[in-house]
Amino acid sequence: MNENANDDAQIRYRVRHLTEYRYSNNVAVCQNQVRMQPVTGGNVTCERTDLSIAPEPTSRDEHIDYFGNRVITFSIEAIHKSLTVDVESIVAVSAQMTTETQPSPEWETLLATSPDDLRRPMIDEHRFGSPRITPSEPFAKYAVGSFTPRRNIIDAALDLTRRINADFKYDTTATTVATTTKEAFTLRAGVCQDFAHVEIACLRAMGLAARYVSGYLRTLPPPGKERLIGADESHAWVEVYAGETIGWLGLDPTNACLVGTDHIPVCIGRDYDDVSPMRGVVLGGGTNTLKVSVDVEPIEPRERTSQASGSNGAG
Amino acid sequence: MNTTLQSNSLWNDSALNAQDYYERCDAAGAVRPHWATVTEEIDRLGLPELRDRSAAIERFCRENGVTFHASETPDESNRPWKLSVVPFVIGAAEWETLSTALAGRTRLLETVLADLLGPQRLIREGIVPGELLWANPSFKRTYHNLETSQQHLHITATDLARDADGVWHVTGDRTRAPSGLGYLLENRIITSRVLPTLIRRSNTLRLASFFESLKDHLYSLATTHRDDPRVVLLTPPSGSYREFEDNYLARYLGLTLVQGSDLAVRTGELNLKTLGGLQPIQVLWRHVSDRRCDPLELDPASGEGVTGLLRCVRRRSVAVVNTIGSVLVQTPALLPYLDKAHQFFFGDELKLTAAPTYWCGDPNHRSYVMEHLDSLNFRNAFAVSGGSAIVLSELSPPDREAFLQRLSAKPSDYVAQERLQFSKTPVWTGKQIEPQKTTLRSFQLLTGDGVTVLPGALARVGYDQLELSRSPISGQMTQDCWVTSDVPVDEHKTLLPDSETVIRLRRGGDELPSRVAEHLYWLGRYAERAEAISRVMRTTLARIAGEEHWDTLAEVQRLVRTLASMGQIEPGFAVEPFIANLPHVEQNLPLSVLDRGQPRGLVRTLESVMHNTIAVRGRLSSEAYRIVHRATAELTQSTGATTPSGANSIGIGEAIERVDRLIVDLLALAGLTNESLVRTHAWQFLELGRRLERAEHLCELLTATLCPPTDNGKPVCEAVLEVTDSIVTYRSRYKNLVRLAPVIDLLVTDETNPRSLRFQLDHIATLFQKLPSTEGPVGLDAIKRIVLDLQYHITTADPIELSQTSEDGTLEQLQSVLEHVAADLPRLAEGINARYLIHTESRQFLTGTGR
Repeated sequence: MNENANDDAQIRYRVRHLTEYRYSNNVAVCQNQVRMQPVTGGNVTCERTDLSIAPEPTSRDEHIDYFGNRVITFSIEAIHKSLTVDVESIVAVSAQMTTETQPSPEWETLLATSPDDLRRPMIDEHRFGSPRITPSEPFAKYAVGSFTPRRNIIDAALDLTRRINADFKYDTTATTVATTTKEAFTLRAGVCQDFAHVEIACLRAMGLAARYVSGYLRTLPPPGKERLIGADESHAWVEVYAGETIGWLGLDPTNACLVGTDHIPVCIGRDYDDVSPMRGVVLGGGTNTLKVSVDVEPIEPRERTSQASGSNGAG
Repeated sequence: MNTTLQSNSLWNDSALNAQDYYERCDAAGAVRPHWATVTEEIDRLGLPELRDRSAAIERFCRENGVTFHASETPDESNRPWKLSVVPFVIGAAEWETLSTALAGRTRLLETVLADLLGPQRLIREGIVPGELLWANPSFKRTYHNLETSQQHLHITATDLARDADGVWHVTGDRTRAPSGLGYLLENRIITSRVLPTLIRRSNTLRLASFFESLKDHLYSLATTHRDDPRVVLLTPPSGSYREFEDNYLARYLGLTLVQGSDLAVRTGELNLKTLGGLQPIQVLWRHVSDRRCDPLELDPASGEGVTGLLRCVRRRSVAVVNTIGSVLVQTPALLPYLDKAHQFFFGDELKLTAAPTYWCGDPNHRSYVMEHLDSLNFRNAFAVSGGSAIVLSELSPPDREAFLQRLSAKPSDYVAQERLQFSKTPVWTGKQIEPQKTTLRSFQLLTGDGVTVLPGALARVGYDQLELSRSPISGQMTQDCWVTSDVPVDEHKTLLPDSETVIRLRRGGDELPSRVAEHLYWLGRYAERAEAISRVMRTTLARIAGEEHWDTLAEVQRLVRTLASMGQIEPGFAVEPFIANLPHVEQNLPLSVLDRGQPRGLVRTLESVMHNTIAVRGRLSSEAYRIVHRATAELTQSTGATTPSGANSIGIGEAIERVDRLIVDLLALAGLTNESLVRTHAWQFLELGRRLERAEHLCELLTATLCPPTDNGKPVCEAVLEVTDSIVTYRSRYKNLVRLAPVIDLLVTDETNPRSLRFQLDHIATLFQKLPSTEGPVGLDAIKRIVLDLQYHITTADPIELSQTSEDGTLEQLQSVLEHVAADLPRLAEGINARYLIHTESRQFLTGTGR
């Protein structure tokens, strides 16, 4: 993780996310919903985002969902045998002002002690279960090792993040997109989605508010090699609510670090179900093949040039 | 008092407990004023007459197929609806107070829903605990701000019970898509028919204007096509517990009844898939769950809704009743907070409250609950559909322990509710009147002008109030609820528009969804098939019964073969030497009339007729159902005798009689559909099915009977003429002179005989002219080519030539023509299937991720 993230006021990226479906048979109609475009907010400025679809959709709508994400809904109502969704965005990410050593509230002070404390939509609602996550006893048992009495929230949450990173094996074959949080927890393996789900389950089981962030991660090529275009992946991490001063604190269990300028958030939700990048219903089509390519490219800042570094695995 | 004494004998209510609130009499035993007229009239009717009227109700329900599903599982068979001949009576003055309170509560629920799906002030200001919303599985976040219109609830229901002190309490709010409205209407129609004098004398408030307002309101919701909007009622797929009442409501209100598979979203608009193409829908009254409304944004596994519906709602291209998400305010855990919410929004007290309810997720509530475990009923805090309450005293010690563990592990999942006493009311039990516990389901309509409460209710009665707190469609006896006035009521409200309304004259009818066309087509086919089997069967059995040496008769052998090839009896009869099967024929043929084992046999064919009749019930006169129901019942009723294997045994005479009656019923059905259906696509598809089936059957019959060589053709010809109902025509033309050529002419080439092959093909050709076509600018489409080719073959055939035998005595030319037609008819049927009937393609889901 980039230890000097806070030195860089802002990093700009060009992110391209290309999704291509090919079908064995004709598709009569498809209706899709896409959550792949960032919105400006928090430490993110979305300068530009374009979503192009081929074949040309018959109709297309846009709305902002409950969690503030930008959603495109479209349909293609002519016979087609392939679908391409190409998103290109220019995003500037400012460093979070939070560091690992900064003072933060004791985690117990963040708990709700009575139903009367639970009045803030978008904060308190993230304390509860969600479609993919049931915060149950086993998660609390695991988490309590990090949440020792009166520990401050950054320490405790970062410790949990690192423990998950250490205890869980990053393994793309261990789980699928449909694996439940409980299964991944039992397997002690998975990818960024599973790591994030497990950590959220732990945080909520402790009574804290935690949410799911989907986005991208800047990766650096191995020394001496060119950056490979399209070799990046979607990424997912966690935010825990750390009180009014700090707000949402980003944690990346896949990389055992706080979230910094290498993380480019796109959507926020309770878990993967709220932010899945694409969902579609297709009539016909036979079997399909899917190709996804993601390319995250740092670009020149608007005003001054700066160099960022870091090395992470996406997930 | 004289009436009281007199009535006691009939009413059996002298032994009531003092703590029971009794609807008919006060604590002193005096008849309450609003019960006076009904009491007097029922006393006057007396037991025998009540018994007769009750039997009339049962008969009506049975014959009209007023049924309900015992559960939500579609496989369970339908049971007849139960309606007590004695009504539930409530006085107009009391009703006025109650309905004002109901209106107030309904307005509150609308306000609460609008808040929870919008600004959420109730949560932010601590009126309602946030957990009730955020941990609520019914709160799909997609519902939030989905609907921007002023109004979210349109039609709601409230379950009510009266406590021992006479005060009405709510036992549950129904804001999603309340069931029971159709049954309530049916109850009223039946009681007004069975007790016409009584309902008039008691000045019972009419229901028609409520339904009229409901209809007006639904139409007023259209944002486009406002002068002539398309309003549809969305019901779950066939076989659901909603089926009867949704059919009924749709027909009564004149709405198109649709299922999810009838709908398609195109360019952000909701459409009805009809034979003539897509037709836009402006208003959707949904009777499917919120979460099943749209597989794209909600439950992907559900086929009850339609992909893209939420998008249409967001674009405001369709109005959905009630708004998707309305289920939220029927959450049981909300009940304890509604009083505070009323105070919050309106500054005064909620008039109609629930039985005191406690949400165990609230620490204060929980401590009360833990101290009163045994006097409370428990329910899941978020369960939005009925279900029985948990009563600790009824649990075994281990079950009780297990429940208490669940409760302490996740208290927020439970609510506890004080028990109400439930008042008692006179109920007809089938033999006598006796007091039973009762609950009402009232219905409310919300419009821009406020809340209208239906002046009546669906009353359910029983011995056990826990049973009564379950869904209304769970099998208890029901009553019609009469709100009786002191002054005469307006009698002349009906759903007919008043004379001021300008109506555009029309032809045709509403558009035919492709699915309905499919059912009509199969109804035509199966009804014709049943008649064909019955006719062959009747002629065969009559020969066997009437002739001593029937086993030597060529016509009997050939008819039995026909029955085998039709699937009425084992196919072996068609191929094996006739003589080998002889001993069985005399026994098995009559038995086959009752046999469910042959999938293409008579009983199963009639079942298919019934299935398709039910599916299109809203489009046929109600007599159609009654005919089919009676026909099936009479054919299959027990004979009182059994075979060694335990099946119903039946003699030849009885079998002939039953088949004979069946033919009459099937002819009545044919006559009814012919005389009552306007000549729209609906009739065309029914007719198409009928004609195709008759043509196929004719080919089958003539091939098996006329074509093979024979020494004595006359009896065979006569049998065939009898089977085809053409013997009268034949004799009027040719007297007793039986020759092949005129027989073949009458049954194959005569364009004037409705039983001839030519007639069927001409008719099919005419029907196709009127169907929507995909014909291009040049040439004919495939289906029309087949039809023309078939017509050509029969039109150009010469009956004299067809009657020529070859050397071995076979009618080769006839056989060749029949074979050609028999081969082309299935191709035609397939073409119809592919173009008009099969309209659902396989669906797949995209996730945008390869994992």
